[in-house]
Amino acid sequence: MSRSPHLQIYLPIAEMSVDALMLVGIGFVVGWLSGLFGVGGGFLLTPMLMLIGIPSTVAVASGANQTLGASVSGLIAQARRQNVDWQMGGVLVAGGLVGSVVGVQIFAMLRRAGQVDAAVAVFYVVVLGAVGTLMVMESVRAIFRRSRKQQVRLHTHSWAHGLPFKLRFRKSRLYISIIPPLMVGFVIGILSAIMGVGGGFMLVPAMIYILGMPTAVVIGTSLFQVVCVTASVTFLQAIQVGGVDIVLTLLLLLGGVAGAQFGAAMGGKLRGEETRALLGLLVLGVAGSLLWDLWRVPENLFSVGPGW
Amino acid sequence: MGWAACLAALLLLPALAFAQPSPLVARLSTERVAITTAFVGESILVFGSTEEPLGPGGDEVIILARGPSGPFVVRRKVEVLGLWFNGPSARFENVPGFYAVAGTRPASLLLPEDVRQARGIGLATIPLNSTGARAPGFRRALASLKQSANLWQEDAQPIEIAGSRLFNLRLPLPSTVQPGSYRVEVMLVRARRVVATEQLGFIVERVGTAAEIERVARGQPVLYALICIILAALAGWLGSVLFRRN
Repeated sequence: MSRSPHLQIYLPIAEMSVDALMLVGIGFVVGWLSGLFGVGGGFLLTPMLMLIGIPSTVAVASGANQTLGASVSGLIAQARRQNVDWQMGGVLVAGGLVGSVVGVQIFAMLRRAGQVDAAVAVFYVVVLGAVGTLMVMESVRAIFRRSRKQQVRLHTHSWAHGLPFKLRFRKSRLYISIIPPLMVGFVIGILSAIMGVGGGFMLVPAMIYILGMPTAVVIGTSLFQVVCVTASVTFLQAIQVGGVDIVLTLLLLLGGVAGAQFGAAMGGKLRGEETRALLGLLVLGVAGSLLWDLWRVPENLFSVGPGW
Repeated sequence: MGWAACLAALLLLPALAFAQPSPLVARLSTERVAITTAFVGESILVFGSTEEPLGPGGDEVIILARGPSGPFVVRRKVEVLGLWFNGPSARFENVPGFYAVAGTRPASLLLPEDVRQARGIGLATIPLNSTGARAPGFRRALASLKQSANLWQEDAQPIEIAGSRLFNLRLPLPSTVQPGSYRVEVMLVRARRVVATEQLGFIVERVGTAAEIERVARGQPVLYALICIILAALAGWLGSVLFRRN
C-alpha cells in the first residue's frame, strides 16, 4: 500500500479521507481573517470546504458547528467586560431559534429535491453580493466623510420606532418595538441554517442601522446570538440531516483559534473604515467566485449520489 | 507482515493442491478491511494456483468482486437563467457500490456472451433498471462516474501469472468504499467454459473512533448533537485560553 506524505484522516460523517493538515490550515486562514475583521468567518469556511470536495450538507452543518466553537471565547470575553445586552440578545435569539428551525426545514427540503449545492451557492451569491456591496459603499463613504471632517448622527429615528410591543432595553439605552429585533434574529437564523454561518457580518450592521444599538454592546450581543443560533443549527442539522462531522469541526477549530489570535493582533493596527472596505471586498470576492461556479458550463453535467 | 503471509501461502498452495487434487485454489490476503480514522483505502490481494498451466492455450482465470448493493440517484445539470442547477434525475435500485472484474485476459475473449451475462461478468451485465428520467445518458453517466471514482473496475489490470500455475491480482479499494460484506468469485475457464469456481468473501467495517462516532451519530442523534455542541464550545474556549497565555 502506498503511503501518502500527508496526514490523511477519515471523516466519519463525510465518509471520505482528507488531508488533516489542510483542514487545520483552512481553519487557520479563516480564523486569521475573522480575527482581523472581527467576524465569525463562516461565510468563508463553508465555501472553502465545498471547494475541497466536502459534501455541501456536511460543509454547512460542520461550518455552523465550527462557528459556534470559534465564537464562544469571544462571547466569554465580551460578557466579562459587560458588553452584552442580554435582554436584546434574548429577543434576537428568540427570533433566531425560530429562524433556524425554519431554515433547517428548508435545507432538508432542498436536499430531498437534490438542490442543496446550487441553492447554498445561490444564497451565498445573493447575500454576500448584497452585504459586500453595502459594506464597500458604506466604508468608501465613511473614508470620504472623514477626509471632509463631517460629523454624523449616532442613531436616527426610522420606521422601526413606530411599531407596537415596545420594550425598554436598558443596556442599549433604547425604547423600541421588539418586532424589528425578532425579525432580524429570524432572518439571520434562516441564513445560518442554510449557509452554515453565524451571520455576524450581517447582524452587526443590522443592529447598528436598523435597531440603532450603541456600538459598544453590538459585538458582544451579536456573539450571544451567534453562539445560541449556531448551537441550535448544529443540533437540528445533526438530528434531522445528519451532516455534522465532529472530526472535521475539531480540526478546523484547532487551526481557527490559533489563527484568530494572530488576526486579532494584526487587526488592531488597521483603521476601521479601511478594515470594513477590505472585508467588503473579501465578501464580494467569495460571492463572485461562487457565481462563476454556478455560471460556467460544468465539466460534468451528471452527478451521482446515494438514493435517499 | 501481510506480504510474508501471502508469500508463505503462495508457496504452500501447490502442496495443498497436490494433497487434495483440485483444479483451482484461491485465497484473499485478508478477510477484514478496517475503516479507521486513518483509512485512505486499502488493497486486497487475491491469489491462488491451478492444477493445469495458465496462459494462452491453457487455462484462464477470471476474478469478480462485488460489494453491497444500494440505490443511487443520478442527476443531470440544466441551465436555468444562465446558472446551472440539478435538473432531471434517474433512480437506480440495487446497484453494486463496488464492482471489479479482471482476467488473465479480458473476459470477453474467454467466455461467450450468454455465460458472461448469466454470471454477471463485466460492467455491461450489471442490471441498471431506473425510474425517473429515461435517457440512456444517465446509465452511461452512472457507469463512468463509478469508474472514475475507482468503485467500478473492468480489466483495470490483468491477473498476474507466476510460474505458469500461480496467479494473483491486487484489488484496490478506494477510501470511499462502503462498509458491508463483499463477495469475490474466482473462476477457472477452460475451452470457453467455467470449469471450477472458488467463492471467497471479505468484510469492510468501520472500527475504532470512526465507527464509534458514526454509530452514535446515526443511533443516538440527540446525544451526538449535544456532544458536538459541547465539544466545539470547549475546543473554542480552551484554544483561546491556551493561545492567550503565550
